[in-house]
Amino acid sequence: MEWYKNVNMNTKLLIGLGAMFILLVSAGLAGYSAIAALRETQRNLAEHDFTILEDLLEVRSDLDRQRADIKEMIASPDRAEQNRVEKDLNERTAEANAKIQTLMALTPDDGELVRGLQELDALRKEYQQGRTAQIALIHEGKPDEASKLSLGTLGELYEKIRGMELVLANNAKEKAKQAVSNSEERARNAVSLFVAVGLASLALSVALMVLLNRLVSRPLLQVTTLAKRIADGDLTLNPSNEQRADEIGLLMRTFGTMSDSLRRQIGGLAEAANVLGAAASEIVASTAQLASSASQSATSVSETTTTVEEVRQTAQLSSQKAKTVADSAQKVAQISQGGRKSTEDVVMGMNRIRGQMESIADSMMRLSEQSQTIGQIIASVEDLAAQSNLLAVNAAIEAAKAGEHGKGFGVVAQEVKSLAEQSRQATNQVRTILHDVQKATAAAVIATEQGTKAVEAGTTQTGAAGESIQTLANSVAEAAQAATQIATSSQQQLIGMDQVAMAMESIKQATTQNVTSAKQLESSARNLDDLGRRFKQMIERYKI
Amino acid sequence: MKSEASDAERVLRARARALAKAPESPPSSQSLLHVLEFRLAQETYALEIRYVLEVGPFRDLTPLPGTPPFLLGIVNVRGRIVPVFDLRKLFDLPEKGLTDLHRIILVRDAELELGLLADVALGVKHIPAESLQPSLPTLTGIRAEYLKGVTHERLVVLDLARILSDSRLIVSQDE
Repeated sequence: MEWYKNVNMNTKLLIGLGAMFILLVSAGLAGYSAIAALRETQRNLAEHDFTILEDLLEVRSDLDRQRADIKEMIASPDRAEQNRVEKDLNERTAEANAKIQTLMALTPDDGELVRGLQELDALRKEYQQGRTAQIALIHEGKPDEASKLSLGTLGELYEKIRGMELVLANNAKEKAKQAVSNSEERARNAVSLFVAVGLASLALSVALMVLLNRLVSRPLLQVTTLAKRIADGDLTLNPSNEQRADEIGLLMRTFGTMSDSLRRQIGGLAEAANVLGAAASEIVASTAQLASSASQSATSVSETTTTVEEVRQTAQLSSQKAKTVADSAQKVAQISQGGRKSTEDVVMGMNRIRGQMESIADSMMRLSEQSQTIGQIIASVEDLAAQSNLLAVNAAIEAAKAGEHGKGFGVVAQEVKSLAEQSRQATNQVRTILHDVQKATAAAVIATEQGTKAVEAGTTQTGAAGESIQTLANSVAEAAQAATQIATSSQQQLIGMDQVAMAMESIKQATTQNVTSAKQLESSARNLDDLGRRFKQMIERYKI
Repeated sequence: MKSEASDAERVLRARARALAKAPESPPSSQSLLHVLEFRLAQETYALEIRYVLEVGPFRDLTPLPGTPPFLLGIVNVRGRIVPVFDLRKLFDLPEKGLTDLHRIILVRDAELELGLLADVALGVKHIPAESLQPSLPTLTGIRAEYLKGVTHERLVVLDLARILSDSRLIVSQDE
């Protein structure tokens, strides 16, 4: 028994099932041989015995037919009809003779039957000769003689043949019955053999079952129990350390290895569960923080979006302003060009004014000189007046000295004196006027000089102003260009701000999604945390 | 209306009577004093005609060194060398310098002929001798000595005889 334990499962099954197979095959063979014998018997019956019976029956019916045909020929006067019936009669007779020959060939070993058949054949030949004569009578037109013949010798012969045939048929029937009973006997033998073989197979199968149960099923049950305990989380047990070389032993050992491995893995899993629980808790905390951060950042992004929108509007405004400024700068540039021309005109005008001022200064100088001349003339006139006055005084003195006689002269002197006084007053007035004129002229000269200087300064300043305006025009042109560039830049900035606003909108959406994602993440992390906890509980269920 | 016109006429007449002045009686030739009126340092002085030779322009003065300050110098008047006196120095009057517009009043005594500096020779005037008043009490010193009298118009009439006879004016080498 021990060796059977050690062969592998395949061989075990092969041995057990092979034995059962051999039994089954032997039982089948036994059945088959029995059935084959039965079939042989049946075939014999069908081919031999029943054929003999049948042929005999046909031969008998042929004889009956011959009689019937003869009677018909007698009854029928028509020659053609007689010929046709005669022909048919000949054919049937030949057929029946052939059958008798066949039967004789078929059963050469059956002596009794052959003898009977030879007798029958001889009788039949006799009957045929009589019949031939009868037919000739018929042809000669002597039906009465023919029918007499038929009732006479031929009738006796017919009865003889008939009795012979019945005997032969009875013999054949007896033989067939014998064969059927033989066949039944054989079938019974075959059934008993089959039953015996079946019983033997059953016994062997039961024995094999018991053996296999003991050697395979029990250890498997043990392993199943162990597996069930492992399934319940008890990893403390080990399978029995039986040394077996077959698959069961391999299963046991493998199970032990599996148990060890499971123990180690569950130990690792327990550590992993601890780590996972801690990590999940941290992840929950982090995701909560992340969610709040995401909310804050969403708020910030929302504010930033608003700010960007404001900035965009500001940029739009500044772009418009920059455009306005650029237009204004263009206008100012044109105006400054006009101003430059105006300053050039002013410079020319100032130059003309300077020339006129110079001519005015010349005129004033001449006027001053002429005033001087007038002053000299006035001085001369004054001197003359003074001398006239002196003369008048002296004349008055002389008149006074002359007394009464100089009275008239005194009046003349008085008149002269008066004239001199008037001349003096007139010259004084002229002098005053001249003085005023001179003062005015001097003032005018000074003013002209100042005017000239002012004009010069004005010219210089106008030149400077022209240069300044030129510079200003250049600056304004540059400013206009700069303003245009600023306008373009502002436009680009505006476009950029639009893009930024769109980007901020996208960021805002993304942030909103982030917030949602963070919340989902938080719930997922909570689920993970729960999972970790459950995992830990599950792991703790295992006893290592 | 008529009464108003007569009223106006009456008022006008009354005013004319109130303003009317009795005409001056023609002065007698005996009592008339003929003087040459001249101005010196914003004051009006007068000299008796009988001493005056003529009035000439102040010209070509030749200062004399080593003489008193009142002697301005000497001038040539038609070939005669005449000393010129400055009364302002004698009368302690304010001076304003000398110009060509000054005049020289040529005067002559019996023995002496000299020129007096004047600002302006105003002309001959006839004043009654009775209208002359004695010297003003405010005038003192040499001005009081040379004064003949003062008229109502505050014309100071100088006594030229006394000026010319004043020994202080004699400039000699002895001094």
